[in-house]
Amino acid sequence: MNETRALLEVRGISKEFPGVRALAGVDLDVQAGEIHALVGENGAGKSTLIKILAGIYRMDAGAIRFEGAPLELHGAHDSLRMGIKVVFQELALIKGLSVAENVFLESFPLRAGRRIDWKMLRTRTREILSSIGLDIDPAVKVERLTTSQQQMVEIARALSHEAKVVIMDEPTSALTPKEVELLFAVIRRLKEMGKGVLYVSHKLDEVFSLCDRVTVLRDGQHIATRPISETNPNELVTDMVGREITALFPHTHGGRGECVLSVRGLSTREKLKEVSLDVHAGEVVGVFGLLGAGRTELAKAIFGLDGASGGAVSVRGARLRRGTTHSARSGLGLLTEDRKGEGLVLQMSVSQNMTLPSLRDFSTLGWIRSRTELSRSREFVQRLSIRTPSLKHKVEFLSGGNQQKVLLARWLMKRLTVIILDEPTRGIDVGAKAEIHRLIDELAKEGLAVLVMTSEMPELLGVSDRILVMSGGRVTGEFDRNDATQEKILAAAIA
Amino acid sequence: MQQQSVTRGGVRSRLGRYNELGLFAVAIVLFVLFSVGSPYFFKVRNLSNVLGQISMTMIAAVGMSLLMIAGEVDLSVGSLQAVVALPLLVIMNRTGSFWLGVVPALATGLVVGLINGFLVTRMRINSLIVTLGMYYLLRGLVYFLTGKVPISDSSNDPSFFAVGNAKLFGLLPVMAILMIAILALCIYVLGSTTYGRRLYAVGGNAEVARAVGINPERMKFSAFLICSLLSSVSAILLASRLNSANHMAGQGFEFQVIAAVVMGGVSLSGGRGNLTGALFGVLIFGLIQNGMGLMSIDTQYQLVITGGIIVAAVAIDELRHRRA
Repeated sequence: MNETRALLEVRGISKEFPGVRALAGVDLDVQAGEIHALVGENGAGKSTLIKILAGIYRMDAGAIRFEGAPLELHGAHDSLRMGIKVVFQELALIKGLSVAENVFLESFPLRAGRRIDWKMLRTRTREILSSIGLDIDPAVKVERLTTSQQQMVEIARALSHEAKVVIMDEPTSALTPKEVELLFAVIRRLKEMGKGVLYVSHKLDEVFSLCDRVTVLRDGQHIATRPISETNPNELVTDMVGREITALFPHTHGGRGECVLSVRGLSTREKLKEVSLDVHAGEVVGVFGLLGAGRTELAKAIFGLDGASGGAVSVRGARLRRGTTHSARSGLGLLTEDRKGEGLVLQMSVSQNMTLPSLRDFSTLGWIRSRTELSRSREFVQRLSIRTPSLKHKVEFLSGGNQQKVLLARWLMKRLTVIILDEPTRGIDVGAKAEIHRLIDELAKEGLAVLVMTSEMPELLGVSDRILVMSGGRVTGEFDRNDATQEKILAAAIA
Repeated sequence: MQQQSVTRGGVRSRLGRYNELGLFAVAIVLFVLFSVGSPYFFKVRNLSNVLGQISMTMIAAVGMSLLMIAGEVDLSVGSLQAVVALPLLVIMNRTGSFWLGVVPALATGLVVGLINGFLVTRMRINSLIVTLGMYYLLRGLVYFLTGKVPISDSSNDPSFFAVGNAKLFGLLPVMAILMIAILALCIYVLGSTTYGRRLYAVGGNAEVARAVGINPERMKFSAFLICSLLSSVSAILLASRLNSANHMAGQGFEFQVIAAVVMGGVSLSGGRGNLTGALFGVLIFGLIQNGMGLMSIDTQYQLVITGGIIVAAVAIDELRHRRA
């Protein structure tokens, strides 16, 4: 490794979000002609780090050096200009424009009079595409390409800027095995061209077949950087999970009752493949999976938000008709992961948000008994210790944790049979997290069947009676609370 | 962090409360301004006319507010004014009874609402496009059916004249009484019933509404029906004022209604606003038009001022709800 030089050097980067320390003094370097893997569980800090390198977030402390010179990033355009290209999972392409236009989006080749030189545009695009061994027509519109081809266009765009470092964020999550092979070939081409590639993934098999070195992050900290040839998957898994679970999770609910939620062979067109599961009254079932495993899709499909292409959901033995109206009336509740987009009506008050599904319970012939509504709301604000200036306060202005509690209150008020919680503690602070965990325990004690989708290992192990592990839209493992270990779970999640 | 967000919310919600107060202040200022500017403004007769005028607009504005709170908009209400008058006058002239004409008139309005609602909620076409199409289509239909000749009243039913022109004690227009009744009913529906609450939820975030078991399409559909129905009521009043079915009736009415409602704080993006605000919006609009007319301000200036008010209203709506 003596002939290589560090293209990109990151030293002691820290980043804090309200209530969360996302990165704490992380070091990383990417050499020219190297494919460097960045691995870690969800929440380890991978995304934060690449967003800093993309110029989207600003770091609180630390330094970045590019080709030996200090690099200051002020905005999303900066890093690209400097020669760092990040290919995010959400591709940043303009679908209605052609491949060539996308490749040269920020710097069209011009002729006299600032007119676009279309001929040059196409020729150069074709050159770039063939330099990484691709045969895509530069004139075709991006929207007509497959996801994999669109990814290639993003890489080509990096080359049009003569980027020296290409960062790929979970690039294979939406690809078929064949497309993955093609992508790997392109990435290896980049390596031969002397580019540095930072390959962010949690799929260890990919890391071992593609990369030269690997850096492991855990809870925002740099754990280890090892040459691939000197490590093995087991060691990496240990690096990734090697944390002691210190937080105390209340676990007071006892024996489980009859089976109230039963899912059989549930599939969706895009993601889920024949998922079956049972949840009993008074039981908390945790569903774990890494990014893209299909947790959210499962939650939505059970609730009837995403059209299922096959399978059946039954609540208390009665098969559910499709559609959320039926789900809500059958005693099924869903706490979505996307609080603002799919959970809250931001313009409405705390109380109005809580009572939305249960208005019928305190209205007579369509007239809302507002005093009952307010007293019911007050009861839940106290029970869940929601911090809000008043019941009529707009929910928009509460903190994330309190918003989440408002949503929980919404479903508690409704007296459910089954509640599905999708990432119930994402993005909320530690104190509120503990309260949500206490509430989950309480729900089970009251006899609800609770299904918790989570990507956080401590939460999973802390709250669940039974654990299901998902990967690639399937259930790949099931463990009892007593014999689940982090290593076993992660092994099933990577499978 | 917690503290900060709470304070910010406090300021915001106080601004929200000031909204109606601000509109009230604007109305007062205009009142004083026109009273000074024209000797004819502050007269019982004129003010009673203004009240009648805004009643007609307000009845349609109530429907428009409900629809906009549900997150949709209807540009066809002006053309609908002309369409609805046709069955009214034709049937009335045939039967000699105003009330027999009212039934097909309202039915016609409902049919248009049905079509709008169907195209938007079942065919999933943007409401702006659907109702813009309807705006042209209905106007063309009226031109075609009337041959651009007004149909006058030959029934001599005194009720027809009365709805648009009679005043209780020579002071309170019948139209105003009708408007107040409709307004009161709809304030109640919007503020105190499950229907009203669901309308806000659907306009605020249709996906959330769906996830709590509300059917957003059905809610929007019903709002289209209410909007068209109330527009038809105001169309009947207009026909009475004009004493005919006129192919030019209601031109530009849709924009006047939308502008007034937006000025009153009903958001173009749905889920926000209330009818008290809308009433103030309509009142301010009515005062400006009446006052400028009395002060014999030239038409070109009237148009410029009115246009300025529409843009300002939308800009203010945008600024108030802009996220930090």
